Amino acid sequence: MTPDAASAPAAESAPAEGGEPPGPVILSASGVDKSFHHGIWPRRRRIDVLRGASLEVRGGELVGLVGENGSGKSTLMQIVVGLLKRDAGEVHRPKRLGYCPQVPMLWEKLTVDEHFQLFALAYGLDEEQRERSVGGLLEELQFGKYRSYRIEELSGGTRQKLNLAISLMHEPELLLLDEPYSGFDWETYLRFWEMSQRRRDAGMGILIVSHLLAERERLDRMYELCEGQVCNC
Amino acid sequence: MLSAALAPSLDFTREHLRAPLTLVLLVAIPVFFVLIFASVLGDFAKALGGTLAAQSATAISAGWAAAFLSGTLALFQVSSSRGADRRLSAAGLGPWRVASARIAAALAIGLTVSAFAFVTLWLRSGIGHPLHAAVAIASFAVIYIGLGALIGALVKGALEGSLLVVLLFSLDAFSSPEMTSSSSFAWTPTRSAANLLIDAGGGQGSPSADWLGMAVVAVASVAVAMAAFWLAARTRS
Repeated sequence: MTPDAASAPAAESAPAEGGEPPGPVILSASGVDKSFHHGIWPRRRRIDVLRGASLEVRGGELVGLVGENGSGKSTLMQIVVGLLKRDAGEVHRPKRLGYCPQVPMLWEKLTVDEHFQLFALAYGLDEEQRERSVGGLLEELQFGKYRSYRIEELSGGTRQKLNLAISLMHEPELLLLDEPYSGFDWETYLRFWEMSQRRRDAGMGILIVSHLLAERERLDRMYELCEGQVCNC
Repeated sequence: MLSAALAPSLDFTREHLRAPLTLVLLVAIPVFFVLIFASVLGDFAKALGGTLAAQSATAISAGWAAAFLSGTLALFQVSSSRGADRRLSAAGLGPWRVASARIAAALAIGLTVSAFAFVTLWLRSGIGHPLHAAVAIASFAVIYIGLGALIGALVKGALEGSLLVVLLFSLDAFSSPEMTSSSSFAWTPTRSAANLLIDAGGGQGSPSADWLGMAVVAVASVAVAMAAFWLAARTRS
């Protein structure tokens, strides 16, 4: 992912309770506004989704972003990634960024391997780096036998595994996950959290959109979005 | 930029050619247009007071087959891949390289479609000026790649977009040269290409104004298609 503004400024941070101290701030979003306009006159209406939303993520942190349906979680995530323009506010993010969207954005007629090749090109990985990274991810997520399958031939869970693997293949500094486990079976769900925690411990900053209360204990910190603003953190 | 666009463009081309129905339509639509649509076009021309001869109608129908297929495939290139293309662009490839790959794929598909249409025309009636006819048919395809991609970029729904392509196609086809006695349709996007194709079908050369007109519209269509693919792959506002 390309940087939106200047790279995130380094910041001093207090050690996390009972664990390794988190690293510098790698993502900071402040005062982000976003509205959408729908329909045509006279039924045109404006929907304010984000109203001054702000958050920070440090390296080595697993941070949750929660909120009710329509509270603006996915919109904020897409603004941070660079898929959506913001109306106001500042976003500082690292250059090497991974994004796993809620709904897999994939090409139905291409194979799993072809997806890895395309994204390796986008991330600037050479063939050796790609193979090493892809081999590890296929093993971790256990879907190596589907390498030659087209997306249209995969189950929802396997598509989601590919969706997640694509976001991880360049070992990003910051990983943005938008409900990445929908469609995962229980085993894969648990493996997903192990993978995330391992990467967090290795210094990766992770921001994960979630709406399940049971997951809150797995997170280091959490932001709650209410009507487009952070109402609890 | 060129090498980075080549690998994605091969994948994007493959994506279309892996759809079995597309492969069937690549053959079926030129056959349908040249054998059946041509006579319908001729009947309409008579009804509208036009002078389109049977041989000209057959020749121009090959162009319409290439236009129809290329336009709809370009539309679906944009509408069915919008999310994945934007993700690839944001991942580091950038909207220009994604757009370059898409246009290369659209042109490869358009030329394949044109080749099928040309061969169908050749087998059906023979062509006086085969090279002129081949260039004119390919121009029909290129012009509709521009229209299809533009509609795909501006209209979100694939259904609404495809209906719009069909509407424009119908207006264009039924106001093409020699279709009516009226001269009020003097400028349509495919006018010069249609003149060339009609002349080539009858074994005649064409005035340089038609060659120039066709080249200008084809180049403009490639630019429009590039802008449309870029629009679909960029950061959304």
